[in-house]
Amino acid sequence: MIQDYLILSVILFCLGILGVITRRNVFTVFMSIELMLNAANLAFLAFSRLHESMDGHVLVMMVMAVAAAEAALALAVVILLHKHKGKLDTNVFSLLRG
Amino acid sequence: MFAEGLFSAFSVLAVLGALGLILFRHPMQGAMSLVVTMISLAGLYTLLSAKLIFVLQLIVYAGAIMSLILFIIMFLNIQPEDLPEETGRFYYFIGGIVILIPIASFLIKIMKSLPGTEATIVGNGFGGVKEVGLVLFQDWLLPFEIVSILLLVSLVGSVVLAGSKRRLSK
Repeated sequence: MIQDYLILSVILFCLGILGVITRRNVFTVFMSIELMLNAANLAFLAFSRLHESMDGHVLVMMVMAVAAAEAALALAVVILLHKHKGKLDTNVFSLLRG
Repeated sequence: MFAEGLFSAFSVLAVLGALGLILFRHPMQGAMSLVVTMISLAGLYTLLSAKLIFVLQLIVYAGAIMSLILFIIMFLNIQPEDLPEETGRFYYFIGGIVILIPIASFLIKIMKSLPGTEATIVGNGFGGVKEVGLVLFQDWLLPFEIVSILLLVSLVGSVVLAGSKRRLSK
C-alpha cells in the first residue's frame, strides 16, 4: 500500500531530525540533513504514484539539484572552519555569537 | 506478494542505515550507513515505478554526492581523538525521541487516513525519461531555469570560498 511508503518517509524524516538535534559532529549533522531530503523525496514519489501524475518526479529532480548545490557549499564551509579551528565540533563554530 | 517482500526488505535496510548514521561515532561509518539507506531508497523508487528517479538516485545521490562527502572526510584525515567527545549523547537521544514521538505519531495518523491504492507497477511509460522530460520542459520550465541559476551561484560560491585562503596568505 502507498501508506506504508509514506509512513516509512515519516520515520526516516524523524530519524534525520534526531540526528540533527542530538549529534555534535559536523559531518553527521550534514548527512542527517541529506537523510531528511531523501525522506521528502520518498514522500514526493509516493504521492506521485498515488495520483499517477509525474509532477512529483520533477520536484524530486529539483530537490536533487538543491542537495548537490548544498553539498558543494556546505563542504567548502566545513573545510574552511576545519582549517581555522582544527575541530569538527558544532559547539566550537560559534563565530556569529553576539 | 513478491513486491511486499521487497518493500519490507528495503524499508528495514533503509531504517537500519539511518539508525547507523545517527548512532555511529565516526563520520566514515555514518557515511557508509547513509550509502546503504540511499541504495535501498533507490529500490523503493523502482517499486513506486519511478524509473528515471531510480537511476538518478543511484548516480547522483549514492554516486556523486556521497563520494564527495566521503572524499572530504578522507581529505580531512579525521583521527578518533579529533572527534568531538559526545558524552551524555544517549540522554540527548532519549530527550529527542520523547519530543519526536508525538510529532511522528501525529504524522503517521495523517498518512494512514489518506486514501491508498496498491503500489503496483504502472504501465504506459510512467516515470520514464521521455514522459518526465515532457512534464519537466512543459509545466516546470521556469523552476528548471531557476535551478540552473542556483547551481551557477553555488559553483561561484564554492570557488570563492576555496580561493579566499590563498588571497589571505599573500
